[in-house]
Amino acid sequence: MSGPAIELRGLAHRYHTEPVLRGIDLRIEHGEIFGFLGHNGAGKTTAVNILTTLITPTGGSASVCGFDVVAQRSEVTSCIGYLPSEVRMYGHLTALENLEFFAKLSGLAKPRVAAKETLAFLDASDLGDRRVGSFSSGMRQRVGIAQAVMHKPQVLFLDEPTTGLDPLGVRQLRETILRLNRELGMTVFMNTHLLSEVAKVCTTIGVLNHGELIYKDSIEATTRQFPNEGSLEDIYVRMESVPV
Amino acid sequence: MISTIAVHQIVALRRRRVLATLLGAIVGVNLLAGVLGWASRTTISGVFDESVKLLNTRGLASPPNPFLLKPTLSLLSNEIIYVTMIGALVALVLGHLVVAEDDNGGIGRLVFSRSITRLQFAAGKIVSVAAILGAGMLGCVGVSIAALVAVNRTFPSGGAIVRLFGFFAFSWVYLMLFAMVGMVNLLATNRRSLGLLTAMGTWLVITFVIPQFTSGLRPSQSLNPIVDPISTSQGFFKITSKARPFSVSEQFKAVSGRILATSPAESTGHTIARALPIFGSFVLLALIVAWLINVHDYARCADE
Repeated sequence: MSGPAIELRGLAHRYHTEPVLRGIDLRIEHGEIFGFLGHNGAGKTTAVNILTTLITPTGGSASVCGFDVVAQRSEVTSCIGYLPSEVRMYGHLTALENLEFFAKLSGLAKPRVAAKETLAFLDASDLGDRRVGSFSSGMRQRVGIAQAVMHKPQVLFLDEPTTGLDPLGVRQLRETILRLNRELGMTVFMNTHLLSEVAKVCTTIGVLNHGELIYKDSIEATTRQFPNEGSLEDIYVRMESVPV
Repeated sequence: MISTIAVHQIVALRRRRVLATLLGAIVGVNLLAGVLGWASRTTISGVFDESVKLLNTRGLASPPNPFLLKPTLSLLSNEIIYVTMIGALVALVLGHLVVAEDDNGGIGRLVFSRSITRLQFAAGKIVSVAAILGAGMLGCVGVSIAALVAVNRTFPSGGAIVRLFGFFAFSWVYLMLFAMVGMVNLLATNRRSLGLLTAMGTWLVITFVIPQFTSGLRPSQSLNPIVDPISTSQGFFKITSKARPFSVSEQFKAVSGRILATSPAESTGHTIARALPIFGSFVLLALIVAWLINVHDYARCADE
C-alpha cells in the first residue's frame, strides 16, 4: 500500500453561502486510528460525507486509498466502510437479511456466508435472526459495524460511533475498533466527542474548529506538547479556546 | 445491482405486511366489481325470468334476455372506475413507501457508501413497484376470470381473456404513473407527511379536477366511462376539448372501454392517440424519479 490512506488537499465545502470546511489539508497513513475532534457544527460530518462520496466538495480535493472521491467514486466506495452516527436499517428485516443486502451491494460472492462470518467475528451471532427494529442502540451499533466491515474495507469511517451507547457498549465498540485495526489492519477515521475514548483508541488526532483544521499530531506528541494539561479533555478545551 | 435493490425492496415491504394489504386492496376491489356484476345480473335476470313467465302465460312474445345483447366483459366495466380511484390511490401509497424508508431512516447513506450508482438505485425502486403492481394485476386477471365463470356459468372465450390481459396490462401502466407520483412527491418535498399529502392532492387533481374541465364540467364524466355527448361548438367547450388529451384519467377510461369492448367503437388510430399521453407520462415520470434520486441529498439526515 503506497501513499496515504486518506489525503485532503485544500478541501472546502459550503452549504449555500455558508462555508463549512475552509481548505483543510490532512494526511492519514495506513494503519492509523485517527480521531477527528471538534465542536458541534465544526464540519466533521461534512468531511466524512465527502470522504464517503455522499456529497461533492465545493473546493479542493480528497482521496481515499489513492482514489479521488469525486472522479473515482466507485473505487473509493469499494475500499471503505462507513458507520453513521445513528445506525438505521430496515427494521422489519433481520440483522442477517440486512447484512446480506449490504453484502450484495458490496459485490461479495457469498453474501449470506459473509454476513454470518462477520457477525461471528464481532461476537454478535446471536443477533442474526432477530429483527433489527427490536434492537437497542448498542445492538444496532454492532450490526452497523458488521455492515461497515463485512467487505473488509481498507479504511473505516465512524461518525460519532458512541452516540446512544451505554458504558458497556462504548467499551465493546472500543475493543472492536482495536481488533479491526490490529487483526485486519484497517485504517480508522473516527469523528467523536468522547475524548476519554480517543485517548484509549486513537493513534493520531486532528481538531477542527469552525471548518479549519487547527491541530493534527499523534496522541503521544500531543501529551508531550501540553505537559501542563491533566487530560486530553483539558488539551482539547485549550485548543478550542484559541480564536481562529 | 438493480435486481438486488428491487428484490430487497419487495422483501422489505412484504415483511411489513404492507404488500399484502395493498395487493389485497387492488384484488379486493376487483372482486367487488365481480360481485356487483354478479348481483346485478342475478337480480335483473330474476326479474326478466318472472316477466317472461308472465308474458308467456298471457300468450305474449317475450323480448330477448338483455344480458345476451351486452358485451361479455360489460360485467367488469366497474373495474375501470376502481382502477382510476382505489387502484391509483393504492399505487400512490406504494410508491411513497418504496422511497420513504431509505430517506427517513438514513439507510440511503449506507447504500450510497457502496459501489452503486443513483441510476441503478432509481431503476431498482421502479422495478420493485412494477413487479408488485404486476403481481396485483395478474391476481386481478384471475379474479376477473373467476367472476366471469361464476356469472356466465361458462369459461370466457380466448378473445375475452386476451382483452382482460390487455386491460390489466394497460391498468398496470396507469397505476405505475401514480406509484411514481408517490415517489416524486416524497423525493421533492423531503418530508413524509407532506410528500403523501401532495401526492394525494395530485391524485385528486388528476382523477377529479382535470376531468371536470376537460369534459365540459360534467360531474358524472369523472366517474362514468362514457363518451362526452356535449357539443364542442361553443367557445368554452372548444378550449376544454383541446385540453382533453392531458387528462390521463379520461384517456384511461376511454381506452379501457375500448379494450374491454364496452364502449362505442372508434378507429384504432384514435384509441392509440388516446393512450399516448399515458405512455408519455410514464416515461416522463420515470425520468423525473431518476433525476430526483440523482440529486437527492441522502446525507441530510447526518448530524452536523
